[in-house]
Amino acid sequence: MTSKEAEALGKTTRPRTGSRHPLQRIGLPLVGVVLLIATWEVTVWLNDLDSIVMPRPMEVLRALGDLVVSGEFWDDVVVSLTEFGSGYVIGVFAGVVVGVLMAEFSVFRATVHPVVEALRFIVPFAWIPLVILWFGTSLLGKTLLVAYATFFVMVVSAAKAMQQVDPTLTKVGRMLGMSRWRLAFAVQLRAAAPTIASSARAAAAIAWIAVVAAEYVGASAGLGVLIINASTSLQTDVVIAGMVVIGLVGAGVSAVIGWLSRSYLSYV
Amino acid sequence: MNAVSDPAPATRRGGELIVDNVSHHFASGPRRVDVLQDVSFTIPPGAVACVVGPSGCGKSTLLNLSAGLAGPAAGELRWDGDPVRLGQNRDVGMAFQQPGLFPWMTVERNVAVGLRTRGHDKRDAARITAEFLETVGLTEFKDAYPTQLSGGMAQRVGIARALALQPRLLLLDEPFAAVDAFTRLKLQQEFKSLLKLSAPTVMFVTHDVPEAISLGDFIVVMSHRPASVVRIIEINREDRDRSSAAYAHKLSETLECLGVTSDMDAATDD
Repeated sequence: MTSKEAEALGKTTRPRTGSRHPLQRIGLPLVGVVLLIATWEVTVWLNDLDSIVMPRPMEVLRALGDLVVSGEFWDDVVVSLTEFGSGYVIGVFAGVVVGVLMAEFSVFRATVHPVVEALRFIVPFAWIPLVILWFGTSLLGKTLLVAYATFFVMVVSAAKAMQQVDPTLTKVGRMLGMSRWRLAFAVQLRAAAPTIASSARAAAAIAWIAVVAAEYVGASAGLGVLIINASTSLQTDVVIAGMVVIGLVGAGVSAVIGWLSRSYLSYV
Repeated sequence: MNAVSDPAPATRRGGELIVDNVSHHFASGPRRVDVLQDVSFTIPPGAVACVVGPSGCGKSTLLNLSAGLAGPAAGELRWDGDPVRLGQNRDVGMAFQQPGLFPWMTVERNVAVGLRTRGHDKRDAARITAEFLETVGLTEFKDAYPTQLSGGMAQRVGIARALALQPRLLLLDEPFAAVDAFTRLKLQQEFKSLLKLSAPTVMFVTHDVPEAISLGDFIVVMSHRPASVVRIIEINREDRDRSSAAYAHKLSETLECLGVTSDMDAATDD
């Protein structure tokens, strides 16, 4: 074995997440969170802020605890996640299909491209008044809004990912005698999949933001509603607790998508 | 299924490839870039043609046309008497300039996928794959992924994939360029003994004139773009001995056709 080959073999056993000590892996993020909370605590204390303006971390934690044990809170989480989940799945699926078709067929691309370019800069929030006008505060309206937000991120990135597939891979597939469809799905789409998956993860953040924003403006349940209701009754601790939940749920969703793409699409 | 899964006879002999007055061009924006101009030569069945020429002169294009991956703008290529058609050609095995391995497949599956696509059953494909991974010395890497390989090793997998198809027409685009000098010599020897086992018709594009002399039955020297054939140089057995005068003669003849002199001092003497 040459030294290069030995080195390459060595690479196969390299752990994926760096070589940091487990204590550091858990400890360092913890330090970040503690610093954030400490800054918050000190700010409240130094400025002697009223808890209506800015409650202390402990008060928010207590509000969070009250929320968690109340049944209504979980209903709100489920409503928001349902709006997110349904819209997100539709948006990702439709976006990838249209993006792949744009990459594969130049006539389709030429037709659809200007429409995509025009619509993708109309941010989801601009649609909220119309969505409420057309669909009221229903699940359907939120679902469509989230699908819309997700769709345009995915169309553009899927088309780009497909076009950036190493042309040699396509040539190899053709040389081996693969059919056009096998080439498109088993080679090009497969090669583009990791890039598409990382865009899907970014799209999840946008979709989640769209859900909450839509709930702020018009909804009967959901985390956005929870926050708006709390703020009208000056329960600032509940407002912040709701914000914390939005952040945590979003991060959780993003982590799940990241885990899925690593498990099923990653090469090593 | 049985008919195709029978082990391909080791003596699948090559056919005749005729390149007849082929010209080709690409569109580069509004401009037309001519790459090949009236290229003609014939590779007899089982012969090895080494194509040498300046970088970017259209050698790779010539391979793509021969494989049926693209159609020529003018002229014709004929394989076994029939015009080369666009699309699938079950006789062709090709190794590209970049290894072009599917990054989501292990080394083993990368080689086997071609055999499976061409109709070999699973067991058959596994057996042939093992055989050719052995040939390129990568048996112990069969479960590795392409990202875990060095450039040279990936290139060898690409070569194994092409060879495993046991093609009647083998097209190689600078297959040993990314391989270190020692491995390259080893692969060249392996390659020669493989050619003795089955005798495919080979078009071998290379930058390396000594390699062309040691592997080719003849050398096709191409000009700058748009490339045409400058000269076809026959290589005989005695020309391959690197210490012989015959070798030195072929080397300088080829380099001269390429517009380089083999006498490095000549340029600085005057």
